[in-house]
Amino acid sequence: MEKKKRMTWGQMKREGYLELYLMMVPVLIVLFIFKYIPMNGILIAFEDFNIFDGIFGSRFVGFENFARMFADHDFLRALGNTFTINLYKMCYYIPLPIILALLMNEVGKRFGSCIQTVVYLPHFLSWVIVGGIFVNMLSVNGGLVNEMIKSLGGSPIRFLYDSKYFIHVLAFSAMWKEVGWGSIVYLGAIGAIDQEIYEAARVDGASRLQQMFRITVPNLTPTIVLMTLMSLSNILGNSFEQVLIMYNPAVYDVGDVINTYVYRIGVNNMQYGYASAVGLFNGLVGFLFLTVSNALCRKFLDRSIW
Amino acid sequence: MKGIKGRGDRIFLAVCYTVLALLAAVIIFPVLNLIAVSVSAQTPVVSGRVRFWPVGFQTDAYRYVMQSRQFFNSLLVSLFVTFAGSFLAVACSVLVAYPLSKKNIPGRKTLLLVFIFTMMFSGGIIPSYLLIMKMKMINSVWSLILPQLVNVYNLLIVKNYMETLPEALEESAKMDGAGQLRILWSIVLPMAKPVLATVFMFFVVSYWNSYFDAKMYITKRELMPIQQYLQAVIFEAQSPAGDYGLASEATNLASQSIINATVVCAMTPMLLLYPALQKFFAKGTTVGAVKG
Repeated sequence: MEKKKRMTWGQMKREGYLELYLMMVPVLIVLFIFKYIPMNGILIAFEDFNIFDGIFGSRFVGFENFARMFADHDFLRALGNTFTINLYKMCYYIPLPIILALLMNEVGKRFGSCIQTVVYLPHFLSWVIVGGIFVNMLSVNGGLVNEMIKSLGGSPIRFLYDSKYFIHVLAFSAMWKEVGWGSIVYLGAIGAIDQEIYEAARVDGASRLQQMFRITVPNLTPTIVLMTLMSLSNILGNSFEQVLIMYNPAVYDVGDVINTYVYRIGVNNMQYGYASAVGLFNGLVGFLFLTVSNALCRKFLDRSIW
Repeated sequence: MKGIKGRGDRIFLAVCYTVLALLAAVIIFPVLNLIAVSVSAQTPVVSGRVRFWPVGFQTDAYRYVMQSRQFFNSLLVSLFVTFAGSFLAVACSVLVAYPLSKKNIPGRKTLLLVFIFTMMFSGGIIPSYLLIMKMKMINSVWSLILPQLVNVYNLLIVKNYMETLPEALEESAKMDGAGQLRILWSIVLPMAKPVLATVFMFFVVSYWNSYFDAKMYITKRELMPIQQYLQAVIFEAQSPAGDYGLASEATNLASQSIINATVVCAMTPMLLLYPALQKFFAKGTTVGAVKG
């Protein structure tokens, strides 16, 4: 190690390292401009920022923005919604892909790959398109779901404009989009299980159901824990684009999440300092979640997320 | 195969097949309904009689979308952003992945951390917005390309793949006096084709589907990429022709048919790419399990 650090210019050149560093320079510049300069949000969050005075000319206000944040009913609501929506989604997003993978492992190859082709597809569609598909299904003017409700004797529901239903629409459409894709990682883990274990179990007369619960599921546990920690680590960042596309003022009380709130007060209302403070809070809590999740992964699974 | 023994197994398998078939139906039916509505006549659509098969077949909704200048504008913007962006982004990935795939290059750990840190912490939406504003890139297509150019996740996939390539060829080229750029271009890149194709696809999907950057940075209608245009059509009752207000009293079409036709048109490129995507993405998950 020591020797590497004391490499001379001549050596560096001979090994071609100088050329390699030069290669990275353009990318490092792009990275610096678009990822590191925006970290000046750490400063903006403590200012009464306005565009004309810039970062170094705007008035410094200390923790004023943060104090305001915790007295701001809309912010607290968005914070609560973010947790509620993402935890609710996790109730589906953790178990369903596992179940899907387990089922796909049991059926024949041909049938399985047909199912895969269908269930992976929505992952490649944008949230706008998924939004369009659900608007069409849930429309009150002839949408399929409301027609079914009507034929069962109910009255039509404006799913996207009703606080009672909006969170379910979010969870269901997210599931619709990602359940298949989420199962891939579990299918991979199942594929890595030693086939001889199944063979031995079969000789002992284990049924298919027993093999699934006694062999497949226990072997999946590390992957399940890892995926759970990964979703937890991203609990503040998830759902942003989906909500931004699908929500409307009628469902702000249940649908507004931190990032959509930041977007509205920042980009629409131009309260840059305050919006940056909320954004910074979001970034820091997200960072904390990620670090803790990763530490847990290291400790219990001997793996790390990155 | 794990074999089938007795009635219990048979019932169990029947349940598996049924549940999977039902799930596939739940996923595919909303898409079928979307398409059916887009090609059905006004009365059946409004009265909710269209299920998964067109009622009162028409293609006027598509004609209506195709005549829209705004639709083609958006399509062009998206195509440019997607392809220019993906090419540049792959180039950026390679330019960093190759040096960092050298295990002995001094400063490797630090440089990796500089990249990985940006995955863990970001300054947030507003500072990025202020930066783009300051750089006078509001209403420029580059505001849709440049911020997403460096993708650390993809970069690590390429790096990990390059680490698995045999070094013998590179060494002998170095003996012959070839520079690093030359080695990269004529030895490493040809060997790395599978991973480059995979990562290119990752970028294509992400640029094509990206919505939020445009929502922030693009306010001029003629520069709207397809997703932003689509959002306006679906959720803000903007008519596909580009004027605000309800779609079409003159055309004898349900406005839902026109909206759906626009959605179908916008998702067609992804559907056409899908067979290739499925292949590449399945490979991508095995090619470079991400680990710093």
